[in-house]
Amino acid sequence: MDKKLNVKIKPIGLLDLLAFKKLIPNRKKKFEEAPATEIKKTPPMNELAAKLHPKHQKFMITKITDLTDSMRQFELASDSAAYFRAGQYISVKFDIDGHKVTRPYSIMSSPKDALSGVYKLGIKKADGGYVTDYIFNNWKVGKVIETSGPEGNFYYEDMRDAKTVIGIAGGCGITPFFSMAQAIRDGIEDFNLYLIYGCKTLNESALKKELDQIAATDSRVRLICVLSNEEKEGYESGFITADIIKKYAGNEPYSVFMCGPQVMYDFVGKEIAKLGLAKKYVRRELYGQINNIEKYPGFPKDKVGKKYKLTLHIGNNTITTEALSSESVLVAVERAKAEAPSLCRTGECGCCRSRLISGDVFIVPDTDGRRMADKKFGYIHICSSFPLSDLEVEIPVV
Amino acid sequence: MSGYKFSREYDVIVIGAGNGGLTAGAVCAKKGLKTLVLEQHNLPGGVATSFVRGRFEFEPSLHEISDFGPEDNAGAVRNLLENTLELGAQWIRVPEAYRLIIPKEKNGRLDVCMPFGVEAYIDKIESEDPGCRPYVEDFIALCKEVVEAFAYMAASKGNVDRKYMQSNFGNFLRTASYSLQSVFDAVKVPYKSQKIISAYWCYLGLDVDKLNFPTYAAMFYKYLSKGAYIPRFRSHGFTVALDKKIRDFGGTIEYRTKVVNILVEHNQVIGVKTEYGEYIKTSNIIANTNAHNVYGKLVNKPDVPEMAIKACNSRDIGPSVLVAYLGLNKSAEDLGIHEYSYFIYSKPTTAEIYKGFCSFEDPVGQATVCLNNAIPDCSPPGTSILYLTTLYHGDMWKDVTPENYVATKNRFAKAMIEEFEKVVGVSVTPYIEEIEVASPVTLARYTDAYNGSIYGYEITNWDSVIPRLMMIKDEEFIKGLKFAGGFAFRCHGYASSLLSGETAALLTVKEALAAKQQ
Repeated sequence: MDKKLNVKIKPIGLLDLLAFKKLIPNRKKKFEEAPATEIKKTPPMNELAAKLHPKHQKFMITKITDLTDSMRQFELASDSAAYFRAGQYISVKFDIDGHKVTRPYSIMSSPKDALSGVYKLGIKKADGGYVTDYIFNNWKVGKVIETSGPEGNFYYEDMRDAKTVIGIAGGCGITPFFSMAQAIRDGIEDFNLYLIYGCKTLNESALKKELDQIAATDSRVRLICVLSNEEKEGYESGFITADIIKKYAGNEPYSVFMCGPQVMYDFVGKEIAKLGLAKKYVRRELYGQINNIEKYPGFPKDKVGKKYKLTLHIGNNTITTEALSSESVLVAVERAKAEAPSLCRTGECGCCRSRLISGDVFIVPDTDGRRMADKKFGYIHICSSFPLSDLEVEIPVV
Repeated sequence: MSGYKFSREYDVIVIGAGNGGLTAGAVCAKKGLKTLVLEQHNLPGGVATSFVRGRFEFEPSLHEISDFGPEDNAGAVRNLLENTLELGAQWIRVPEAYRLIIPKEKNGRLDVCMPFGVEAYIDKIESEDPGCRPYVEDFIALCKEVVEAFAYMAASKGNVDRKYMQSNFGNFLRTASYSLQSVFDAVKVPYKSQKIISAYWCYLGLDVDKLNFPTYAAMFYKYLSKGAYIPRFRSHGFTVALDKKIRDFGGTIEYRTKVVNILVEHNQVIGVKTEYGEYIKTSNIIANTNAHNVYGKLVNKPDVPEMAIKACNSRDIGPSVLVAYLGLNKSAEDLGIHEYSYFIYSKPTTAEIYKGFCSFEDPVGQATVCLNNAIPDCSPPGTSILYLTTLYHGDMWKDVTPENYVATKNRFAKAMIEEFEKVVGVSVTPYIEEIEVASPVTLARYTDAYNGSIYGYEITNWDSVIPRLMMIKDEEFIKGLKFAGGFAFRCHGYASSLLSGETAALLTVKEALAAKQQ
């Protein structure tokens, strides 16, 4: 390829050279000739992104209903509630005696209700629950609360899931499924949702009546209650087992979606393993923060019941506080009345991603949602990192 | 004097930690400037990041970096990242240039797999299109001259010797203001070879009739001569390393901190205001966001020079993307997916496909990557990662509502997956274990990109990299305000964005040091 090239676009190559010389004047002319009309601040895609994914939402509590003795439904209203996918959650912000904490709650209402500015949350009072105690004592009609936009990936996806979903619910884990059932009824989703709902007694089966109503009019939705503490005609009793799942799943392929307390996951998880389903057919919603980390397999036994020094760098501020081995770094931050960003509180979403400057932490392997490079560069998700030594951490501002 | 109460002061503030912002920040800090990088998201990289779903970690945007090269034939990007900044990131060479499939080409299906390496490429194209060799050789020689001319221009730092250019780079000068198609015709590249050579056009997002030749030629020749590379641990693997370098060099980087205002006095930058109401003083800003955002939103209206607005209005914002990310529970080999990079063009001409990018119809062109064919262990054994990308201009989605948003993006994703399955003759849908679909809205959400664009301003002949580079100083409409990234003077793409940050940083360093000496 050493022959001399002589490329010309126009028959006279000088014209091409002239075109080169004109590049700058031409570009200046293009600028000059353009209108000086105002640049649109928020073009359509940024506008839609802001509608679908607002960073903050404000709601007023407009109605409170008891669903069971220990579970309440809170109806929230706003001028604009972000549309969501049935099964998603919002992270609610609390200021409890100066402690800024968050909790994730599944939205239990239909996405359709969001169009008129309404979300509903179903919250169960936990024994000694710091936040649920606060909610049950302080959330009254008229109170204004702040939340995140809709978050999470616990929703039906037809390109991935089987046409039939076996929904396994326990406690307030019924709430995302209730949203899905309404979405099916409202024509927003189209799949078969067979709910296997584990309750202690029939009285404790929140939303049973409402779900029965949907099932009566829409054959795609079915409800099977499994009662652990009583035997009743027409209901399954005992725990949710592989046999019960098989019995109601039928012969077509199915996906299993699971949402409930950690103890349910421990038991039902073993039952699901017996079904021999491919991994893609088993999905579980996150269960929030782990409360008994020191009993978790792999947690170093010599590190139980310890107290450490925690140094936090937040923006330009440095705070020194204490951290317990039994609580996540995020909880330690909240105890110190400092604020850290958080959403899922299970390690998955990465919102609380922070830089570990020094020290060791225990990270729950099941829910370690960190990126590979973050592991190498010492980043942690503080909601699922538990101190094993004194720590120094840099946390992003909220 | 300004009445702002500044809480701190920096030599330079970089707005945005995308590819261009990160390299700008790292170079400024390395050169000793007191540097602050402010990023609205909680991660570095912008689109150069990663995300995790289940047991898969996905690459959001990168297909391959050009101008990188192996250690013994390093391109400008490797030189910057690994020699100048000493990132120490791991890089993997992509196995083949691409497999191009045009199912309904006018002479029947076109399906070729092209290798890297100039000689190998020419041999392969000759076997596909016998007799094309001399013309393709001419074309590639011309591309080589373009690369050399750009190198000379860059080295001369604005002091170009016109006579030297004319005697050494005459072909470059004569083709500089023409489209890829015009040059194909002038060099008499046969039809089929044109199709094969122009396969990369969608990386620049403009059809061959409008796409500026030298801009394409430089990218094409660098791919051929230096191969293409990807980071071992997704783009996050090198952007988090860049974050660390900025800190190691003494710079500061703060996340979740959005700049809401660029403060200007007497047409000179004096500082920024953050979303938290903090005022930070500086005389130098490198904006790793586009001019539309800067002049339309960040600078107070009375301070925006009219020409800056006109310049924005004269240009067209490049397209955004729709990407379907698939985590599959079967290996690439078992699925029958043997190549890393696929270009599938469902219409015969690039003009028709570009029209598709400017429509709200099913995708007619896709660039699809099977990551395991470059990084076999990028996902657990027995699984694979496939991502399919098409382009859409953000405005085409303007009538999408929150209620039909998911159905819309899924409809297009499904069409793209079905086309891939049909054209390549494989089945992937039954093996989808994880799926995520990103749209123009996703881009707008995470990066705040104007109208979700992932590409910068369109690379037409009048606004190609050549006049942009030659006018770099004329475009500092506000003193102290420079740009880096895909919207800047090197045009878009990873390589261009990364290198633009270095250039903006070096210009800033020179000015800041001169100001200090005064």
